[in-house]
Amino acid sequence: MGGHAVALLGTAVLVHVLAVWSVPYLIMHVLMDGPDAQAMHMHNRAAFPEPVSAKDRTVVMPSPDLLYSVCVYDLSNGPVRISAALALTSYWSIALYGANSDNFYVVNDRTAAGKPVNLWLVPRQGDTPPGATDDGAQVVVSPSTKGFLLMRVLTGDYEAEKAAVEPARRTLVCNQA
Amino acid sequence: MTANFLPSPLQRNVRNLVLYLGAVAIGLGSAWWVVKKAPWMGSTVQVGAWRANLHAGSQDADMYTRASIAVNALLALDRGETMYFVATRDDMGRTLRSDCNYRVLGTPPKSRWWSITAYAEDMFLFDVARGHHSLNGSTAKLDGNGQFALTVGNTEYTGTHWLATTGGGGLVLTLRLYNPGPELQREPGTLTAPSVVPIGVCE
Repeated sequence: MGGHAVALLGTAVLVHVLAVWSVPYLIMHVLMDGPDAQAMHMHNRAAFPEPVSAKDRTVVMPSPDLLYSVCVYDLSNGPVRISAALALTSYWSIALYGANSDNFYVVNDRTAAGKPVNLWLVPRQGDTPPGATDDGAQVVVSPSTKGFLLMRVLTGDYEAEKAAVEPARRTLVCNQA
Repeated sequence: MTANFLPSPLQRNVRNLVLYLGAVAIGLGSAWWVVKKAPWMGSTVQVGAWRANLHAGSQDADMYTRASIAVNALLALDRGETMYFVATRDDMGRTLRSDCNYRVLGTPPKSRWWSITAYAEDMFLFDVARGHHSLNGSTAKLDGNGQFALTVGNTEYTGTHWLATTGGGGLVLTLRLYNPGPELQREPGTLTAPSVVPIGVCE
């Protein structure tokens, strides 16, 4: 009887731990491979959704003050090149998230210091092709084969700033090298 | 003649199946409760009505924090980049409701840019035709004391920046600080928290 109770308790604990551990992976899987991601064709390709509205129900707490651009990177066939040249004076950032939802890299307008973003995203250290950094590119190692790129561009007033922010964000490139 | 009270093998199997299904349900239910309903179990700081998770967006996050952030604030940035303070209660500790009205008053936080956004209890924007979804460092008008003010709720008050709500569920306010100052990054509890006070009586 005692052994039976221990087995039941162990089952409950195991299910609890597995559920908590797997939640970020499941949510990221839906984000990267769900219907919205399929519709936007953002697999190793940058996509530029419309400004946030109440109809956006994919990612919780969307900010109406940010213009988002996205890409699902997949390193299973080799490195991915990420570049952008945002000539904006307001805040912007490019953040990379692993398959477990961890934010493992971010660059913003201040840390970029006026230079274009130029990254080689690789699955392991040493996977960078010879000469890849000759042009000053930075190598970033992803903790997972697949992950998510989210670019944020601040737009306090989208309609007034549209002419500047739309061309700027569309400089984002996220392609298989 | 004696009655046989011993369960048959079939009865034992059914009973065991029910017990193990119960154990699975308890495991799943407790996981959901911890992640969705008890985000305060992680490393958090409370300032006035506002609470921040110190490990949001961080690779140092433990399993529970990571799951909680994935559910409640997916794709968050770490606090060197952005800090997120969330209010689900007013200054008196009463749960915020979308069918009530509140006045939020504060001084611009020490950060490069900031915003306050109203979300429904499902953490998405309210589907409203009028009013605003947020107040931010660009749109806020400061009074003679250097303070900003907004109202949030289902009623528009003339002359205020109105974050419109609808429905009869919960209300979540999120204060975002972009590139917060070094002191705030080190000590998030030093935030001068905006007050969240009900307007009138909410029954």
